Amino acid sequence: MLEPNHSLKLRKTLDEKARMNFVSGIRAHVLNDMASGMRAVWDGEVEPRFRRKRRRGAKTGPEVHNAIKSNEYFKFYSSLRVTAQDLVWQSVFPPLDRERDQLKAEALALRKNKNIGSLTLDPKLEVPRYVSAIDVHLMAGNYDGEYDTDDVAAGALYDNGFAVFSFGLMGRNHDDIGQSIAGFIRRKYPHLKPKKILDLGCTIGHNTGSWKDHFPAAEVHGIDVAAPCLRYAHARAQVQNRAVHFQQMNAEHLDFPDASFDVVFSSMFLHELPKKSIGKVLAEAYRVLKPGGLMLHMELPPNSQLSPYDAFYLDWDSAYNNEPFYKPFRDMKPQQVCKDAGFDPKKFVQHVVPSVGWYGEQVLAEAATHQQDVDSDKTGRLADGVRWYCFGAFK
Amino acid sequence: MSAKKKSAPKAKTASSTRKPLRRTIRGGRPMFFDDPAIDKVFNMVVTLGSEVWTLRERLAAMEAAQIARGGLKQGQLDAFEFNAEQIAALDAARKEFIGNLFRILEEQVDVARQRARKA
Repeated sequence: MLEPNHSLKLRKTLDEKARMNFVSGIRAHVLNDMASGMRAVWDGEVEPRFRRKRRRGAKTGPEVHNAIKSNEYFKFYSSLRVTAQDLVWQSVFPPLDRERDQLKAEALALRKNKNIGSLTLDPKLEVPRYVSAIDVHLMAGNYDGEYDTDDVAAGALYDNGFAVFSFGLMGRNHDDIGQSIAGFIRRKYPHLKPKKILDLGCTIGHNTGSWKDHFPAAEVHGIDVAAPCLRYAHARAQVQNRAVHFQQMNAEHLDFPDASFDVVFSSMFLHELPKKSIGKVLAEAYRVLKPGGLMLHMELPPNSQLSPYDAFYLDWDSAYNNEPFYKPFRDMKPQQVCKDAGFDPKKFVQHVVPSVGWYGEQVLAEAATHQQDVDSDKTGRLADGVRWYCFGAFK
Repeated sequence: MSAKKKSAPKAKTASSTRKPLRRTIRGGRPMFFDDPAIDKVFNMVVTLGSEVWTLRERLAAMEAAQIARGGLKQGQLDAFEFNAEQIAALDAARKEFIGNLFRILEEQVDVARQRARKA
């Protein structure tokens, strides 16, 4: 496990660290080793049976899912993955409970004494039911759970849990997505030179800061509905000397004027929203973008562009990881969604971006000149050799 | 009774006539859950729990012995940090440990791979 690289990280005992290392190791085992084992079980056992019975191959992800879900290997894969997902968060609770008062005090002191960037909360904001009603990816308390005044616990839970969850693939700042995508965009669209950048559903701002790194002159904003994550995000950005403006807002109705941003970004955000909200978010992105500006969403790749097995593999989360909107989102066609929000279909873009942490700067730079195929068992899969998918449109 | 008087368990002595002890139960093992896999996993969990507890007692003994000798202060171990080389060795050992722990599941994968090759 790579621990967070900043001073707000929780201090863990030797036993707590060992426990986290073990859970991280189990995650790597399930998502690398067992993932390839399950593919072999599909190819050598389940798929031939499907063919004999149906006299054809599987055509969709749900067909693969139905055929494989009674298989013992799938059951062990799933049960171990759910257990590990639970233990990710459970491994953080003891040090979090010990240190949360101190963290809250540190966040307050940073706001008072350092005050880089800004934090604007809206106590009247109604947290939408798709956030308040479920603990997404089995994270007890979710993004918005508050246990104290000026609470930062949910943000710290997410940050420290992320280190366990990502088994090193997101880097020590958990920003591989942000660094890869912002680095890619800077090379791919050198004319863009954004002055104002907005990150939607930014949680703890781990990927928001990457835009500040790649475009230091830009004014960078991050919005989210969850106050404890935003308080933590602001403190985290400050200890890293990144000036980012965090505001509590719902991406479905932004409190920004028309045509005010050059880039509107999100990462791993849309798949946590119901369809109706996704439409509203994209329409708002269109509204606040300046003409010529870029909307870009880093997301899971759409089912329509993946093989049936890879579609099934990624949709696992929707059925078993408290991600009810994940599959409906992945069933949508990105081109259509952008068109419905008012974007010109000719200005649609989609990219597959190699993880900069895994492949290095050179491969990332080369990717900016060669379009990569979406259909791959590396696209959007948190496993060794991951490539991130993103789509959007210019206005 | 002093610890010195206690003798350690006798080590195995090689013999050409001796057979390995049988540890599989004749007459079958009672199963309670709808899926026998659950009974097997429950057995794994309890076995693992017993190994974990054994380790904890051994570690407590080592820590207490070190403190008694003055080689370690109370609480010092909790603040211990491994160096990069030690971390790399532990990472590799942990990966192997996890692989061994779930090795039984890979038997099905081996069979599936053989079948896929034949097809």
